[in-house]
Amino acid sequence: MSDWTVDELAYWDEKIIDVGVDLGLDWYDIDYEIIDYQEMLGAMAYTGLPTHYRHWSFGKEFERTHTLYNLGMTGLPYEMIINSNPSIAYLMRENPLSTHLLTMAHCVGHSDFFKQNRMFRYTNPDGIIGQFKVAAKYVRTLIEDPSIGIDRVEKILDAAHSIKYQVPRTPGIQYKSRDEWLLIQKRLMQLDPTYDVNLEKVPFEAEYNLLQFIGEHSRNLKDWERNLINIVEENSKYFIPQALTKIMNEGWACTIHQMIMNKMEVPDNLHLPFLKLHNQVVRPHLGQINPYHLGFELFQKIIKEEGFEEAKLIREVHDDMTFLRNYVDEEFVREQNLFTYSFKKDHKYNTIDDVGDRVGWKQVRAELIRNVGLNRVPIIYVDNLSSDFTLSLIHEHDGRDLDLKYAQKVFEYVQALWGDEVKLITEIENETWEF
Amino acid sequence: MSVFREHKSIVDRAASDRARHKKKIDRAIKESIKDVVAEESIIGQNGKKKIRIPVRGLREYRFIFGKNENNKNVGTAGDHDIHRGQKIGKKRAEKAEGQGQGQGGNEAGEEYYDVEVTLEELAEYLFNDLQLPDLEKKKFRFISQESIKRKGYRFKGIRPRLSKKETIKRKIRRKKMAIAAGTYDPNSEERFPFHKNDLKYHHIKPKEKDHSSAVVFFLMDVSGSMTKERKYLARSFFFLLYQFLRYKYERIEVVFISHSTDASRVNEDEFFKKGTVGGTLVSTALDLELEIIDKEYHPNSWNLYTFYAGDGENWSADNEIALEKFKSLKELSQLTVYCEINEHLTAMYPDELAGTGGAFEWAEVSTWKDEDPASLWGVLNPCADKDFKRVTIAEPQHIWKAFSTIFGGQT
Repeated sequence: MSDWTVDELAYWDEKIIDVGVDLGLDWYDIDYEIIDYQEMLGAMAYTGLPTHYRHWSFGKEFERTHTLYNLGMTGLPYEMIINSNPSIAYLMRENPLSTHLLTMAHCVGHSDFFKQNRMFRYTNPDGIIGQFKVAAKYVRTLIEDPSIGIDRVEKILDAAHSIKYQVPRTPGIQYKSRDEWLLIQKRLMQLDPTYDVNLEKVPFEAEYNLLQFIGEHSRNLKDWERNLINIVEENSKYFIPQALTKIMNEGWACTIHQMIMNKMEVPDNLHLPFLKLHNQVVRPHLGQINPYHLGFELFQKIIKEEGFEEAKLIREVHDDMTFLRNYVDEEFVREQNLFTYSFKKDHKYNTIDDVGDRVGWKQVRAELIRNVGLNRVPIIYVDNLSSDFTLSLIHEHDGRDLDLKYAQKVFEYVQALWGDEVKLITEIENETWEF
Repeated sequence: MSVFREHKSIVDRAASDRARHKKKIDRAIKESIKDVVAEESIIGQNGKKKIRIPVRGLREYRFIFGKNENNKNVGTAGDHDIHRGQKIGKKRAEKAEGQGQGQGGNEAGEEYYDVEVTLEELAEYLFNDLQLPDLEKKKFRFISQESIKRKGYRFKGIRPRLSKKETIKRKIRRKKMAIAAGTYDPNSEERFPFHKNDLKYHHIKPKEKDHSSAVVFFLMDVSGSMTKERKYLARSFFFLLYQFLRYKYERIEVVFISHSTDASRVNEDEFFKKGTVGGTLVSTALDLELEIIDKEYHPNSWNLYTFYAGDGENWSADNEIALEKFKSLKELSQLTVYCEINEHLTAMYPDELAGTGGAFEWAEVSTWKDEDPASLWGVLNPCADKDFKRVTIAEPQHIWKAFSTIFGGQT
C-alpha cells in the first residue's frame, strides 16, 4: 500500500512551488497524472504524450521496457514530463512519497527549462497536445479506411521514421525563401557580370529537411501519404530541442530538485530515501556517459564558480554543444576521468584512444561534443532534384563513415517514398561511395 | 497549485501496437526458424520441451555511423586507472552502446528477442508455410479405420445402449404434466413409475476415420570416413524429417540402423554417437531394413519412409546390390531418400554462392554426378524419380534446402 495520499502530495506541491518561486524559477503549471505501472509503461512507449498515432514501434518500445524492467535491468523512471503548457507529468502510484517529492521537484526543473531555454522557443507548448491528438485521429482514420488500411499506412510510417532525424537541427532559424534567394542572386549578378549561378536549381541551397522535401516534391505520393510524412516531420521538430539539450535539461532538473529538497524542511524519514535516490540518479555509469551525472556535475561546478544567477542565464541561452564547449575544461575531464575509445577492426575489440591529461583532454571534449544528441546522427541533405526527378542526396561526411548495412536499408525506404530514382553519395574509407 | 489526476481505470493504450508488433515478430520467427533448425540445441529434444529461439528484433533502420576508429565513444572510468591503448571489456563496450541515445538513438546494436516455443509449435511454424503441391501430398497415405460413435437418440434399441439420462428426463416431464393435469398428486404415497414410452436409447453410427501411422527408417553410414561433422549434419537432417513426419502423422515410430561393413539396429543415442572404423557396405543396412519391415511393419498398415545418409562412398562391388535393394525398398516405401553428406559439395547450391564466382550450377553438378557410374549417386540413377530422391548436404544451411527439395516436388 502506498504511504501517501493526494492531499499530502498537494501539501508538498505547495511547498515545492514556494521554494521554486523563491529561487526565481519560472515554469508552466504542472498537471500530475497518477498512474500505475502498466500505464507508466504505456506512457513511456509514447514518449509521455497522452495521445499519439499508432505504430508498431511503440508496441516494441513497450515490450522492451517491460522486459528490461522484469529483468531488473532498469528501474522505471521516477520522472517523466512533457513540454507543454500546462506540462504533463506522471507519478507512479507504486512509488513512495519520498520518490514523489523528488519527482515533483525535478519536474519543476524540467518545466522551467522548457519555458526558459531558447531552443524550445518554437515548440508550441500551448497547442502541442491538440496537434498530436489531431495526428492520432487522422492516422486512425487512414487505418480504418478500407481503401488504405494498416499495411499501407505502416509502409509510409516505417519509411518516414527511417529519416525522421534528417531535419534541420537549429530551431528558430528563418530560412530564406526562393524569392529572397533569387533577389540576392540577381543582385550579385548585377554587381559582378562574371558571377554565374543556375537560377533554376532545386533546391537552391542544400536542403536538410528530407521529409519535408520529399513530401513536397515527390510526384508519386498521394495526399494522405504526404500528410503522414508531414505528421512525422512535425513530430520530429517537436523533439529536436529535447535531443539538443538532454544533458543540460537533466542536469538542470537534478540541480533544481536538490536545491528545492535542501531548502524545504523535509523530515528525515523522507530526506534519507530522497538522498539515496538522488545519488542513484546522478551517479556516473562506468564506460558510458550518464547525462544526469554529466549535466548535474557541470551545473554544480558553474554554481560554485559563478553563482546561481549565472547558472540561470546559462540554462537560457545554451544547448548541449555550446554548454560542453564552454564549461568542460581540463580539470573537469580529469576529475570525471573521461576517456574516448573506439572499435579497432583489426583486433575486433575496443581500446582507449584518449584520456583526460594535458595532451588528451581537448580531444576528449571534442569527442564528447561529437557524441552529444543529434551529433550522433549523420547529416544527409538534398543536393539536387534533376529534371527527370532523380533525387540526389549527399552525406555530409565528418570523418565518421556510415554503417553501410543500415544506410542501404534507409536508402531503400527513401526510394519507396520518393518513387523515382534516388542517389546517395557518401565516403567510405576515403573513397566516394554511391548507392 | 498543481493539478493531481488519479486514474481509476487502467487504460492499456499500447495494446493494439503491441499486437501489431507481435504479429511482425511471429513473421520474423518464421524467418529465423529456418536458420535454427540446424542448431545443436534443438536436435533430439522431445516435442514438449521448450526451446529458446533468438529472433532478431524488428529493426528500425536509420542513418547511423559505423563501428570504426573514426567513430569514437566517450565514457567515464570512475575510480579506475586508465591509459591509452588499453583494451576495454567487450561487455562494457557493448553496454556503452546504449549511451547518449536521447532522442537520436542510433547505435547498431543487435536486437534479439528470445522466444520460447515448444518443438511442436516450431514444427507448425516450419511446416504450415510449406505448401506441398498436390502431387506431394500423396506421400502421406492415410489408412482408413472404422470406429463407432454415438449420435443422437432413438426410441428403439438394445438394453446396453439405454440412455438413463434421457429416460429419466422424459419421466420427469411426464410427471410434471401429470401434476399440472391433476392426474397425479405428488403428496400421495403412490409411486410414479417408468413407462415404456420413457425409454430412450443411444443411437450409434459407424464412422470412418483416417488413421495414420508411419515408421521412419533412418539409415546411416558410420564408417571411418563419416566424421563427427558429417554425422552432425545427418542428425540435423534426420531430426527435421522426423519432426515433419510426426507433425503429419498421428503415430510414428522410428528405427535406427547404422552400418559400416555390416549393419545393426541401434537406439538413437548409439546411432549418433557410436563410430566405427572400416569400409562401407550400404546393402547391409538395406538388407536389415527389409528384414525388419517383413517382421514388424507390414506396408498395408504402415506408411514407410526410408532415409539414408552417407558420404557417398561404397565398395564398388556392393553398388549393384545396393541398387537392387533400394529398388525394392522404394516399392514398399512412401518415400525413399538418399542423402549424400560431404562438405566438398558446397558448389551444388548456387543460390548460396550467387555472386561468389566459380560456382557450379546445380544441374551441372548433378549431371556430372549422374555420369559418374562408379559413384553410388550415379549407380542410383535408374531408380531416381518422385518416390526416390537424392539430395546433398555440405553445410548446415543446406538442410532446409534439402528438405524442401524432398517435399517440394523436384527430383
